[in-house]
Amino acid sequence: MPDALAGRLRGNLDVVGLGALIVVLLAAYSHYDSTLFTPASITILSAQFLPLILAAMGQSAVMLTGGIDLSLGSVLALAMAVFAVTADHGVPLAAVCALAVAAATGAVNGTLVAFAGLPPIIVTLAASFLWGGVTLIVLPQPGGSVPSGLVKAYNDGWNGVALPLVVVVAVLVVWKLVKTTRFGLSLYAVGGNEHGAYASGVKTRTVKISAYALAGVFVGLAGIGLAVQTGSGDATIGAPYTLNSIAASVLAGVSFFGGVGQMRAAVLAALVIGLLTNLLLFTGLSPFYQLILQGVVLIVAITVKTFATRERTE
Amino acid sequence: MMTALPRTAGLRALRDHRAAWAFGVLLVTWAAAILFANGFDSVSSVRYLTQTASFLGIIAIGQTLVVMMSGIDLSVSSVVALSAVVCAQVSAGHGGAAGILVGLAVSLLVGLVNAVGVLWLRVPPMVMTLATGTIVAGSLLVYTNGSPKSAKIGLLDSLANDRVAGIPLAFVLWLAITAVAVWLLHASRVGRYVFALGTSQEASRASGVPLGVTTFIAYGACALLAGVAGLVLLGFTATSSLTMGNPYQLLSIASVVLGGTSILGGRGHVLGTVAGALLLTLLTALLTAWNLSEGVRQMTLGLLIIALLLAYARERRT
Repeated sequence: MPDALAGRLRGNLDVVGLGALIVVLLAAYSHYDSTLFTPASITILSAQFLPLILAAMGQSAVMLTGGIDLSLGSVLALAMAVFAVTADHGVPLAAVCALAVAAATGAVNGTLVAFAGLPPIIVTLAASFLWGGVTLIVLPQPGGSVPSGLVKAYNDGWNGVALPLVVVVAVLVVWKLVKTTRFGLSLYAVGGNEHGAYASGVKTRTVKISAYALAGVFVGLAGIGLAVQTGSGDATIGAPYTLNSIAASVLAGVSFFGGVGQMRAAVLAALVIGLLTNLLLFTGLSPFYQLILQGVVLIVAITVKTFATRERTE
Repeated sequence: MMTALPRTAGLRALRDHRAAWAFGVLLVTWAAAILFANGFDSVSSVRYLTQTASFLGIIAIGQTLVVMMSGIDLSVSSVVALSAVVCAQVSAGHGGAAGILVGLAVSLLVGLVNAVGVLWLRVPPMVMTLATGTIVAGSLLVYTNGSPKSAKIGLLDSLANDRVAGIPLAFVLWLAITAVAVWLLHASRVGRYVFALGTSQEASRASGVPLGVTTFIAYGACALLAGVAGLVLLGFTATSSLTMGNPYQLLSIASVVLGGTSILGGRGHVLGTVAGALLLTLLTALLTAWNLSEGVRQMTLGLLIIALLLAYARERRT
């Protein structure tokens, strides 16, 4: 199976390459911030990076089926708003509500893609309007009531445990389990060759809908994380996550055409983007440059990827 | 048998002329608006609708060119703001004419960069234009330090607000641009290349379609038209803002698709886009007339777009 071997090698090259990049970035980071490797810093940073990491995982799950989610930012803001508004009825209930809403939005997107014959770009672009509107109805003004005890425990560490880090690891473990199931395999099969998958008995429509719903759960968690990190909800905060989640997925080597990519690479890529953004702030440049950096990173990453892949295949 | 044949042929003709559908839906919606809502039956309301639809329409014509060759331009919202902000900034020091020229030049530049990325760096159009859009938005923040200027430029003011024989000049400009686009896409050689590339890029390349030139023309024209729309908007509001282009991102693509052009490229007509832009502007005006909150308005517009897409913009299953 030389193909499988080459595929595995390429995937691991992504992880190894990104890992090396992170080591370099961390070295540069610790030059500016000597407290980087203390538990307090790790907690703060993981709280800061968690939304993008989970958003990237959501985007990757959709991209694995050959789709794309341009409504990700709106759904993230929606989950954040739902959590912030319902948090005074009890945090577990609020979390369940936010996750259920986010998963439902994903299922709606997935159903439109799978059954209506509408391309994912158009569906999710129109859906971004829809969910953005719903978010404004749920939470017209920034606010909400996230218990301050939870915010403190999340950002400062709970008995010395970095809760955001625990969440990310837990989600990765869940994904690992999902990947070994029939659904996990079908996800890659549908993205790699939809007709082939259908012909070999995979329920391609169900798989697509489930993939979008699963992405909704990841994005919902990201929204909850952002609400707990900032202590409130904000309907307009989600927009940048759409581009950045695509950037992270592309950087991680998740193919636009589906079927290729690894979740742990997506996590590392999101870390790279987060660390780069923070480093930019350390250099004293205006935060206005952030957007320019993100755009440039995206173009450079995908260009390098395209040409590196081409040389290996030709 | 004899009756069934023309009927299926008729159905196929309807399916193949989805641009005609767009005009049908537009007429029905307009009639419904006149019958069931207040203030849509006057000449001034028609004037106002055609005037405001022009801003969206000009952008959507450019978007049509790109979509037809199975690309997409997600940088139009940033380019609209770019041309308006740069024009306002430059005209403050060097006069209106210089402002307009520089505004158009930087817009065109963004389009050319998009084409370079799609063509030579082989970045998928969606990612490339999303990235350049972000870079442009960031550059505008740096350029204006977060506070863009306002500017009153005579030429742009009259272009956006004046009328010729009762017809808004902006609408006339839109129709003129549409006429050029109809020629470019449906009568010229470039148009045939665009359709060929939209149908199958490999087959077109193999048969000698100049991919490079066509890509540069399509993305360049799209960004240039977004720049023109930005300038007309600047004339309309006499002020520029960093977010003034944002509503036009989704709406320009929706105009194209609701106008019957396939988002996958290769099928459609520029005139359909005109109907699409008018339809979306009419729907927005209706929702505003009903005094709904911002959230409900956005949600309803999203639902309506999805419903219309489901009604007649579905792709045939392959």
